[in-house]
Formats: sequence, C-alpha cells, structure tokens
Amino acid sequence: MRTPSIRSRIVRSAFAIAAAAGLAAGTAQAQEGEPVRLGAIYIMSGTASVYGQFAEQGLELAIEEINDAGGILGRPVEYELQDSQLKADVAIQAARKLVYQDGVHALMGIDSSGVAAGLVPTIPELNRSLIITHAATPDVTGKLCNRNTFRISVNINQNMKGAAMVAAETDAKRWTTIGPDYAFGHQSWEFFGNYLKEIDSSVELMDQTAFPRFGNEDFTPFINSVMDSDPDGVLISLWGGDLVNFVRQANNLGFFDKGFEVMMTVGAATEVLSALGKDMPEGVWLSTRYWFGAHDNPMNERFVEAYASKYGNPPSYNAEGAYAAVYAYKAAMEKAGSTDADKVIDALSGLTVMTPMGEVTFREGDHQATVGPTWGRTAGMNEKYGIRNLDPARTFDGRDVTPSVAETGCKM
Amino acid sequence: MESFAASLLNSLDIALLLFVIAVGLNIVFGVLNVINFAHGALYMLGAYFTFTIVNIWGLPYWPSLIIAPLAVAAVAIVIERVMLRYVYDRHITDSLLLTFALLLIIDDLVLMIWGPGIQVVEPPALLKGTFTVFGGRYPVYGLFVIFMGLVMVWGLWALFTKTRAGRIMRAASIDRDMAQTVGINVPMVLTGVFAFGAWIAAIGGVVAAPMRAIGPAMGDKIIIESFIVVVIGGLGSFPGTFLGAIVLGLIHGFGGRYLPDISLVLPYLGMALVLLLRPQGLMGGRGSA
Repeated sequence: MRTPSIRSRIVRSAFAIAAAAGLAAGTAQAQEGEPVRLGAIYIMSGTASVYGQFAEQGLELAIEEINDAGGILGRPVEYELQDSQLKADVAIQAARKLVYQDGVHALMGIDSSGVAAGLVPTIPELNRSLIITHAATPDVTGKLCNRNTFRISVNINQNMKGAAMVAAETDAKRWTTIGPDYAFGHQSWEFFGNYLKEIDSSVELMDQTAFPRFGNEDFTPFINSVMDSDPDGVLISLWGGDLVNFVRQANNLGFFDKGFEVMMTVGAATEVLSALGKDMPEGVWLSTRYWFGAHDNPMNERFVEAYASKYGNPPSYNAEGAYAAVYAYKAAMEKAGSTDADKVIDALSGLTVMTPMGEVTFREGDHQATVGPTWGRTAGMNEKYGIRNLDPARTFDGRDVTPSVAETGCKM
Repeated sequence: MESFAASLLNSLDIALLLFVIAVGLNIVFGVLNVINFAHGALYMLGAYFTFTIVNIWGLPYWPSLIIAPLAVAAVAIVIERVMLRYVYDRHITDSLLLTFALLLIIDDLVLMIWGPGIQVVEPPALLKGTFTVFGGRYPVYGLFVIFMGLVMVWGLWALFTKTRAGRIMRAASIDRDMAQTVGINVPMVLTGVFAFGAWIAAIGGVVAAPMRAIGPAMGDKIIIESFIVVVIGGLGSFPGTFLGAIVLGLIHGFGGRYLPDISLVLPYLGMALVLLLRPQGLMGGRGSA
C-alpha cells in the first residue's frame, strides 16, 4: 500500500549544488575525476517518512561539507536515494538497482529491523559495503553478520544495556512493558530484562505485558491494562506516531501521575518531542541513539549548528547516523586509497572514525560501531526548539554497553 | 466495574469513529458499485485540513468541522468528474485499480504539501481533560466522538428513510437504468453520492484529528479496519455497518484490555468467523444501503 516516492526517481546531484556553493565561497573544490557515488536506502513514503527525510538531510549536509573541502580522494561525491517503503523486498530491489544500474561505490541507510534482516544476507552477492545507520536489530551484527555489513548507529543491545543500568539505579523492582508487536518491541523487552536481571537478580519481570499492533492509534485499553497491573516501572518501546498517540492518551488517563518509573526507549527522537511539546511529561526517562546536546566535541558543535541553521530544527539521531556514515566512507576510502569495494570493506573493519558522537570504532569481530545511547530525564522546555530538555542526561560509552563479539553470535 | 465502564466507553468511541469511516465506504459501494480504496485518504485529507485551519491559520477548532469536510467534498467532485465516472461501466477491478492509484497520488501529495512530520492538533478547551466514571478516568473528547458518531448514525438513518434525497439514492443503488427512466438525473446523483461519501470520511478525519497523531498515510490503517467492519456487517448494508463497527470496537476495547497478548489477531479472527458462518456478513444480502 506504499507509494514509490517521486524522490526515488530523481538523481539528487548534490555535487552540482555543492560545487556551486564551493565556487561562491572560493574554497577548495572537488572536481577531479569520476565522482564517488553513494547509494542510500531510506523510508521516503508512508507514515514513517519523516525518518527518511531526516536521514536525507544529514546525508546532504555531510556531502556538501565534504565537497566544499575537496571531496573524497579529490573526487566529488554524489548520492542516489531509494525508497525502502519499509519493506525488505523493496529494499533488496533498490540495492540491486543502485549497484547494477547506478553503479554506486558503497551503500548506506536502512530504517527498520525487518528490512535490515532481509537485506543484509543479500549484500555480499552485490560486492559492496553497507553501513546501517538506523535499524537496531542485534541480528545484523550478530547471527546474520557478514563481511560487507557495518553499523554506525546504536543497536538494541547497546540501548537496552544502558536502559538496564538506568533502571537498576531506580527503586523500581516490578517491571512491565508496552511495545509494538513485532521484533523490535519483543527484543527490546527481552534484552532489557536479561541485562537488568544480570545487574539485580531480585527484580521481577512481569508476565502481564502489552504489545499493541504497530500503528494501533488507540492505546487506551493497553494503558488501562498496565495501570491495573500496578507495576513499579514501565519500559515503552513504541516510536514515531505511535508514541505521540500513546503519550497524549496516557496523559488523559493519568498514567504519568501513578508514581511509577517510565522509560521510553526511543522517546528522545526530535520528531516525537517537537510533535508533543509540553505534552511530553516531566520526569520520565527518554533514550535516543544520539542526543544533539550530549556530545562535547568540535565536530558535534559544527554539525548541530550547520544542521539547525539549514533545516530549522536540531538534528535527530537518524540525521546523525547518515551524516556519520558519509564521513566513515570518506575515512575508509581515503585509507584504502580507492573506492574499490573489497578495499573499502577491509579499511572499514577496525576503523576508528570521528563522528558527532565522538570517535567510534567498527569492531573487527562483528562490524558494530562502539556507540552508546543517551538516556535522560525530561525537564523544562527548550523554548528555542519547543521540545523538552533532558536533565540529567547520561551518555553511555560504547565500550561499556556493547556486548562481546562472542555474545553477539557473529561469525565472520 | 470501573474498568468495565471505561472499556465500554472506549469501545464505543473506537466503534463510532470506525462507523463514520466505514459507512461512507459502504454508501459509495452501494450506489456507485465502486470499492473506494482512496476513502481512507479522504479521511486523512479531513485531518490535514483541520491541521491547516487550526495550527496554521490559527482559527478555533469548531469551524473546521464545517470547512474541512466541504473542502474534501469539493476534491471528491473533481475526482468523480475527471476520473471515476469513466469506469462505472467497466469491470469492478478497474475501479479498484483507479481508486488505489488515487490513494497513492493523495498520499504523495500530502507528503509534498505538509511534509512527513508528525502533527498534533489540540482539542478545543471545552473538550479537554477527563472525567471519572465508576472510579475510572475517561477523556471528555471520547464523549464528543461518541456524540458525533451517534449524530451521524441518526442523521444518515433519517436521510435514507425519511427524505426524497435518500430515496433517490436508494433507487439509484437498486436499479440505475430504471431510476434514469423515471426521470432521475443519475450522473448527478452519482457525483453527489461520491462527494457525500467523501464529506462523511472527512468529518471522521476532523473528529479524529485532536486525538490521533496526524501523519502521512494515516488513512491506510483505518481503511483496512473499515473493510473489516464492512465484511463483518455486510457489504452494502447500513445497519450492518453499524453492527460491524460496534463488534470491532468491542474487540479492540475489551481485547486490548483483557487479552492484550492476542489483541492483534482478534479483529481478523472475528472477520474469519463471520465469513465462515455468514459469508454475506451479519446483515448483508438485502442491499439496503
């Protein structure tokens, strides 16, 4: 029921725009040789298309900056974007088109766990590298891992390890969950429970859980059911429009006045925060894979400022993921001295690259980047952007929350 | 008791919103013999127009109840005049394809006009907040949804049984050629009925806007539910649509509350049961739209 977006048919020649900008500024320009072509696959249509838009903005910004500064290997950078329609088979077709028809040198993108799990096993036959920038299923750097696939964004393992560390410091002993009824909701609860039990074996993981359908719209029955079960803490892995609906309906029912701890695993996504504004209650724990205010380094400062002035809102985690992936490709291709896929893959493995989240390393064993989530408690309003502040905000070091390669089940 | 009362009210507000969407679908099918895939997209347009009226123009919520449905009906007239009327005489699959294409076009237009972000419309001050029913909390807005739904049920029933316009619609649905022969301007009736169906869908969108997040393709979800309602109740049956919506509302309201683990399959289970036991739907088979 999803439409192939008009965008997907348009070659976005960021090169042309960037070159024009470069001319005007009189800076070093990338104009020698064949362009470096990146192929991106994001969700550009349907209910979740805001995620694709953010990714495209991050991608576009990184390419502009890189082209202004001389490109990759002195060559200009271009990208071609395809709509995944949030379906694995569509993403597989898109990847084939990008590689065989458009001749891209490298692939990036992927928003959903389901799409990632379907696409990743087909990447080796395309003989290209893929950097995943959003999808969080542990499997693609676990039991489904392969030589070609990397992930620069925080996965469910890392996020839930952080969640368990936050939860263990609260007084809550009886935990339950409300999450979407597909892999993401169930895996979030499973990993959260396992990590929390490891830290504190006395916690109770309640049997009474709620997994409404993705896109359910009316969560009232589920909210009432959880409130009746009288937990100490609730882990909520709903996201996007579902989370917006949930929070507004939960406000109505007094869910947040019951005194239990509430943790939302993707609650600090900027699109959710700006849709809700003051409706997001104070005093709940929200996580995000990247929080624009949590990383104190020059690259992040530059990224947040450039992004906010270009697009009018602070960068979301999906914008950061795409932005970081372009810089990772730049570093890998320059280390390899080539855009040849085999050499780029070798260069990426074990590579340490500077991103807005600081220096991150793609582990050789499973190709997961050592990144950690930010968990923060909602506080007063950030009036500039109309969203809640996170205070305190706790950013986890990737090395503390990433399980060992042996635990991931990845065999290269 | 408290949870029962709250679940019952919640089931009713889900059911009546579903009724408002499904009844338009059913009327258009009954008279035009077109299964309108784009019906959910028209509902979405109603919600987006409300967003524009309230959040962008800064008007209060109430005028959007009048303006948005009329605007959507105008869009529907253009659709019927320019496209739909050319497929009435063809096989029903052609109109399915056409309305599916329309759905894709409207979805992408919405993306281009309003962008992909999630939008929220605040309910009017009068309908904010909650009240207590047998010790459980229930949003005031839910009562407004129930009220609007009941007004639509009563209004449509009165229209079909008591007015000349309703009798003309029923005549056109039973036998188009005969209606034409006795002097009814059938092409005009068809345009009017399609616009009327869109107008009802848009009222659903306006009513849903303050309680559901507005986003692209939001109509895709509700159209599937509406098809379930129509299958349960019976294609082409007005009382069946009402009954189907109530059944599905109860499944959602009580299923989510007491059987959250299997709530996902319950609507389909209900539909499968009805198809097995009464394939024409609970009230189907008499073509009484």
